[in-house]
Amino acid sequence: MSEIINIGYGGLAAAYILLIIPFAIILYRKVPIFGRTMIAVVRMTVQLLFVGFYLQVVFHLNNPWLNLAWLVVMVGVADATIIRGCRMRVRQFIWPLFLALLAGTAVPVLFFVGPILRRPMLLDAQYVIPIGGMILGNCLRADIIGLKSFYDSIRDRKKAYLQSLAHGANLSEAVRPYFRDAIEASLAPTIASMTTIGLVALPGMMTGVILGGSEPVTAIQYQIAIMIAIFCGTAITVYLAILLSLKSSFDAAGVLDSDAFV
Amino acid sequence: MENKVNHEDIINISGLEVVFDGRIVIRDFSLHLGQGEKLLLTGPSGSGKSTLLLCLMGFIRPVKGAIYIDGQRLGDDNIWQLRQNIVWVAQEPDPGKGSVRDVIQRPFSYRANRDLKDNMTKLGEYLRRFRLNKELLDKDVSVLSGGEKQRIALITAILLQRPIILLDEPSSALDQTSKQAVMDFLVEAKGLSILAVSHDRDWAGCVDRVERIGSEDRQ
Repeated sequence: MSEIINIGYGGLAAAYILLIIPFAIILYRKVPIFGRTMIAVVRMTVQLLFVGFYLQVVFHLNNPWLNLAWLVVMVGVADATIIRGCRMRVRQFIWPLFLALLAGTAVPVLFFVGPILRRPMLLDAQYVIPIGGMILGNCLRADIIGLKSFYDSIRDRKKAYLQSLAHGANLSEAVRPYFRDAIEASLAPTIASMTTIGLVALPGMMTGVILGGSEPVTAIQYQIAIMIAIFCGTAITVYLAILLSLKSSFDAAGVLDSDAFV
Repeated sequence: MENKVNHEDIINISGLEVVFDGRIVIRDFSLHLGQGEKLLLTGPSGSGKSTLLLCLMGFIRPVKGAIYIDGQRLGDDNIWQLRQNIVWVAQEPDPGKGSVRDVIQRPFSYRANRDLKDNMTKLGEYLRRFRLNKELLDKDVSVLSGGEKQRIALITAILLQRPIILLDEPSSALDQTSKQAVMDFLVEAKGLSILAVSHDRDWAGCVDRVERIGSEDRQ
């Protein structure tokens, strides 16, 4: 297999030419998303340029503490995104969700770099940062789905929830059906993608490994390992996020505390 | 309409004030329910009848006043323990998901009710008594009518054998025959303390006392 070709800034500029087609459709059909699309393209460019330059430095130094700090910052950003996405109060939820994300990312990442890749340095930037990012991105999506499903269904079925308390359920027993449904809802997308992977499209990591010049068999091994790591990470993070958030979201009588949400 | 009094109070409410969405729903309300007494609370819509039952379950916190259950003041420290003495049957109950059998059995899987599992042997008797077919047990609760849900909720409450039953509009979805069956049961139920809130004046005939909320006049 050949080495990956460097696109270069000239090639990248050519990629932007492709944008003429969707922009032409948007303008011709007067779809009211032109401004938003422009902002999205600019944001994507600036964010990725910034991250690219920063990662160059991080990869060059490959200092385990710096790599760890990068992971922690990514977890912090994901934490804030979930809190905003689920309309939760920062003060009550920042730490429980941070811990859930950290555990959901750290366990599969360290397992991936250690027992699976057998790297001597567990916090090797080349593996920890991209793999951590992929797992964390999936944890973030799963957390939003799981937490929203959990708290929305308790709100929507308030009478059934209160009835279970009235029937003698403790908090853990009363939330059990909503907890189960939330875990199912949050894991369903990963299960669906595991079911159809390779049939509909080549997944991102496999594409990256092939573009990087490796054999498809190597790419498949990476893809299987990352899918399992993502599934493990999302299960850990959603389970812990709901479990650790319970204390902040219910009052002493077991009633969902509306003040805990915006 | 005060047939029997002088019961030892199992519920005592004094000077209760409840605010909901910035509006006072219950103002300076007091009430007592004796042990084994059956009381009907009436009042216009929005007078706070259902809210009062939610306060007794600890689901809503009053801003003023006190609630005593079996002599203990209801508070954060004892709400879970005091709740074990009460069962609440909501108006238009939401039984959750699953078959009727699952819904009735679910509360007996809770740690607090595990020693009551034998009560399930009385299920057939109550189904007959409340005019429900045994075949209903295998149906999904989502296909039940409002009246069936109400009777299933009541049967579950009775099987839990709590000394206090709170009923919120217990006959709102029942036909006359089913309503009579429920009223007959409640008349015969000795030792149970029942607080029912309803618009339906028919209930007055099967309770010991009628009180009113939302206006000054008491009967």
